[in-house]
Amino acid sequence: MAMPATDNSAGKMGAATEGARARDRLALLTADNAAVPLPASVQATAAILLAALLIALPWLGLGYRFLSIAITTIYTAIGLYGLGLQFGQAGIMSVGHAALMGVGAYASAILSVQLGLGFWTSLPFAMALSAIVGGVIGLPTLRVGGQHYIIITFCFCALFVIVLTNGGTFTGSATGLDVGSVTPLPGVNFDKLSNNYYLVLAALFLALAATYLIGISRYGRTLRAIRENEQLARSVGINVDLHKLGVLMVSGLFAGLAGVLQLYYLRHISPTLFGAFPSLYLALMVMLGGARYLYGPLIGAVVVNFLPEVLNLDPVDSRIAYGVCLLLVILLLPGGVSAGIKNIYCALTGGPETQTQGGGSDGRA
Amino acid sequence: MRQLGLGLAMAAAGLAMALQTARADDELPIGVIAAQSGSFVSAGNTIVGAANLAAQQINDAGGIKVGDKTYKIKLYIRDNRTDVNVTIAAARELVNDIGVKAIWGTETHDFSVSMAKITGPAKVLQFSGNSSLGAVLDDKAVADDGWLHYAFQSEPQEWQRSGSTAKGVLSLLTPQLKSPPKHSVVFVGNDATGQYLSSHYVKALEAEGQKVDLVQYPPDTTDFSPLLTRIKGMKPDIVHFWYNGDSTLTAFPQALKLGVAPSYFLFGVDPGIYQERSLKADVPVTMSCVPVCWGSSPFPEVKQYFDKYFGLGAAKGPQSSVSLLYYDYFFWYAKALEKVGKIDDPDAVVAELLKSDYKGVVSPVPLVFNKHHQVTFATEVCMVEPNTSDQFKCAVEQPPAAPPPGDNGG
Repeated sequence: MAMPATDNSAGKMGAATEGARARDRLALLTADNAAVPLPASVQATAAILLAALLIALPWLGLGYRFLSIAITTIYTAIGLYGLGLQFGQAGIMSVGHAALMGVGAYASAILSVQLGLGFWTSLPFAMALSAIVGGVIGLPTLRVGGQHYIIITFCFCALFVIVLTNGGTFTGSATGLDVGSVTPLPGVNFDKLSNNYYLVLAALFLALAATYLIGISRYGRTLRAIRENEQLARSVGINVDLHKLGVLMVSGLFAGLAGVLQLYYLRHISPTLFGAFPSLYLALMVMLGGARYLYGPLIGAVVVNFLPEVLNLDPVDSRIAYGVCLLLVILLLPGGVSAGIKNIYCALTGGPETQTQGGGSDGRA
Repeated sequence: MRQLGLGLAMAAAGLAMALQTARADDELPIGVIAAQSGSFVSAGNTIVGAANLAAQQINDAGGIKVGDKTYKIKLYIRDNRTDVNVTIAAARELVNDIGVKAIWGTETHDFSVSMAKITGPAKVLQFSGNSSLGAVLDDKAVADDGWLHYAFQSEPQEWQRSGSTAKGVLSLLTPQLKSPPKHSVVFVGNDATGQYLSSHYVKALEAEGQKVDLVQYPPDTTDFSPLLTRIKGMKPDIVHFWYNGDSTLTAFPQALKLGVAPSYFLFGVDPGIYQERSLKADVPVTMSCVPVCWGSSPFPEVKQYFDKYFGLGAAKGPQSSVSLLYYDYFFWYAKALEKVGKIDDPDAVVAELLKSDYKGVVSPVPLVFNKHHQVTFATEVCMVEPNTSDQFKCAVEQPPAAPPPGDNGG
């Protein structure tokens, strides 16, 4: 028996409406809405809660193993904030970022071994050298971009490891270099793991603040203009070359800081730490977390560092898991896990309207 | 009645807690950090296998009698996933969360050094097999307040092993060649261990009158033919495939196909593996194990050890013999604890280890730690007859008394 024509039509309309709603919900959940800021009160609350959680972490009784991996996660995240700036804000991807961290780490280690400089005194030199190297590697971006620059960073990474491995006693060759503890501050001994944690946490807060301020500044908007349309940016008078070099140097500063923190946490470094694999992991983390979001690099570092711990994955399983996660992020969350979290929040609260096409982070997301 | 029941329940709970405490007190917590996954898994598994076997044997024999108490070893095994960050996290956990008295591992120089920066300040003994620790074990580092005071290298100094190996290789190959070998090429992976090991082996060969060329390959190389072709052009008498065994097993068949040299030496390849893989060469091939071969050992106690080791389910691999770098030291440590009479006096245990000796499986000569916390024992070298996979002749040459010219020891 055929259904009446009018009922059939109504059913089709209803189904169409349902389908449209489902598509809207899907669009809402999978959008890259980095450009749409959350209300200031929500941002402030999120920042306070996150800071409180991170500060309280050593007091939660989670054990030394957890705290050790938290330190690894945080210094990795600091390096990622540099990568996040150059990729998320300026659109320049690198797959050699670990080598830039290595420049900072080795600069500090060599200053320690050769001149006896400690953590605090070698830190500015190491950061400055990383920034300079970041700029020098960035020079080709003035002529080439996209995949060409990615290949250049990969080559730099490989070359860096070869130089270190064959650098004799100056670089410690493949065996690497050793350093002592972080020079204590009055009343604070950084041999204690919780103090070491607070040291890297302080650096993370600095990185977060710097990223936020760059994001909301005129400089941040300039970088996003370059990312969206380099030719257009140039045509309106923006000095694209200078800004590209500038952001790569800023990225180098972050990487240098992360490298020195890594050095003084491990207290022994060798070239394998700064090769192609660690660099690819950094790129993976920033894509997973969401390069355009303030908390994206931190979230990416947490996912990659803690996933094998939580799920007890061996390295092969971990790589499979990372691959699957990356595919899911590319297909469903082009803005990364951060975008997903923000979208869920917006869907639940009927928050700010999402923007499904591109957009630029202003650092407040 | 109700109060009586409550009282009984509380007494039972108290008794259970007391028993549990007593049981915990009688356990000696020992940590093992090794790669049970990742690229170093074949070496890492041997540490775990040796630790399990030693702990089982000590516990089955009644445990360790320290003072008026007897302790059973409780192993806390952690997989470092071949990752330095996980190694450090595991070391922190074992030292600070669990409170182990000693740690066995890890399998690589970098990881062991980073780990020692945690075990040292905590006064936890560390037994690591890496001979490359010799690069950092000096007077200052092992002093009472040194950062390696509690670390022990369970493998001989590299100049000793290199000297023992070079003598063994040349003594076995010389009668097989038309004229005494004069030109050797050392082919080695260009990583931390490879660089350190080959620097000593080159000097050891030179001390035996060889002209030596060093050719390094990048780690993770799988196609060795370009480098092997270059080596063939050097017309060597012997090609020495130095560290590591896994890469050697890939490179050696390629060398045979190319006919690179009239004789070969394969470092870290056990005769057992050579036989299992049915490898054959029409030229004489020597091989050494780290430290004693499981496939063709002339020592009955070594054969017994490997029967038990493989009996526990350990895999037969090119690095299985590495387990011996960890096994004997459990018994030596237990002996030192018994002598000291306390488990909470690591300084006394270190002092006791330094003045005592131990006759174990790894060496027919009793083991002794020198002032830099290193032991001395010979390396076994075996030669397979051409065109066979299972006809071996082995030699154990004692290490030289002093480093060769140009080798500063370590």
